[in-house]
Amino acid sequence: MDKSSSHRLLPLKRNWWLKHRFFKLYMLREATVLPLVFFILCLLAGMVALLQGAESWQGWVDFMGSPIVLVLNLLALAASLFHAATFFVLFPRVMPLRIAGHSLPDQAIVAGQWAGVVAVALLFFWLLGRA
Amino acid sequence: MSTEQVNTNNTSTKHLSVKRYLPDNSAESYWQEYELPVDDSTSLLDALNHIKEQLDSTLSYRWSCRMAICGSCGVMVNGIPKLGCKTFLRDYEGDIRIEPLSHFPVQRDLVVDMAIFLEHLAAVKPYLIDDNPAKPYDPTAPETYQQSPEQLARYKQFANCINCGLCYSACPQFGLNPEFLGPAALTLAHRYNLDSRDHGKKQRMAELNRHEGVWSCTFVGFCSKVCPKNVDPAAAVNQGKVEAAKHTLIALFKG
Repeated sequence: MDKSSSHRLLPLKRNWWLKHRFFKLYMLREATVLPLVFFILCLLAGMVALLQGAESWQGWVDFMGSPIVLVLNLLALAASLFHAATFFVLFPRVMPLRIAGHSLPDQAIVAGQWAGVVAVALLFFWLLGRA
Repeated sequence: MSTEQVNTNNTSTKHLSVKRYLPDNSAESYWQEYELPVDDSTSLLDALNHIKEQLDSTLSYRWSCRMAICGSCGVMVNGIPKLGCKTFLRDYEGDIRIEPLSHFPVQRDLVVDMAIFLEHLAAVKPYLIDDNPAKPYDPTAPETYQQSPEQLARYKQFANCINCGLCYSACPQFGLNPEFLGPAALTLAHRYNLDSRDHGKKQRMAELNRHEGVWSCTFVGFCSKVCPKNVDPAAAVNQGKVEAAKHTLIALFKG
């Protein structure tokens, strides 16, 4: 059959990802960047405020304490944990690790990554607790 | 597959909606309804064969082996790409919508034009490229094609592809840009790159390491979900990204 008789292929609509639960979950994973962008902007604003002096810094501390900002940053924390959970599961498939000719089991790699998260979190709790 | 006993006496009537496209009659596609008797052993391919033989001989679809090895009978079942022979109607309640595979031009009914898929497969040089001067069938050749089980294990999973094209219908990136080489072609390239007998990685990298190669993939991962042979194309494509990045870095330092 020649190509001209083929049904013309329509381009995907913008809402293609609404058709299936799997695609929605994927878009949720990708959307975790949005609250994280807000968190990064907060950090940048904090550094600018620190440079501008004590008054500006106090203003930033008050801003960070406001309920809406707290909620958005808690959302960012939840988003980053969700992203980590999905990313850690994908990691052994992208970079299967081999030690002495034997490939590490996937669960061991995932567990190792979470252990890293816990270690970094504990380090920061310790550092901030001393301050 | 579950080990539960399949009861072939459990007959019922099920409703199948098939998306028809007959370019000789009309430029528009339309839905056609079929009622047919099924039991617990009826696969979707059995159902289509029943329609073709008993109800409506004008229906067109591809099939051959009936056992998930030829890769011909891929269709969309309720919007998800499936092999007709590996899909059982006992797993579906209510309306079952059958469409041709997404992201390919439809030729007739459930038959799609897979030319672009075949072009992408050929583009990645999916064969052993060996710079060893010994001829493969030369009896005096020094053990050219020997391979240990460990070397086989490195790529074996990625060699199970049957070219059914389900992963292309599952891939939104291929749907958005048909020039993207796509899951199966990139997996096949990776399969040969991992093969100890092959020396063609450098040649394949030219195809892989570009926007329409591995870098169009955003790891949606649905290709691996729908793959009927558990090839895990998403893993292969993303391992390909690591290889492509290494290739770029090495090229950078070599100048």
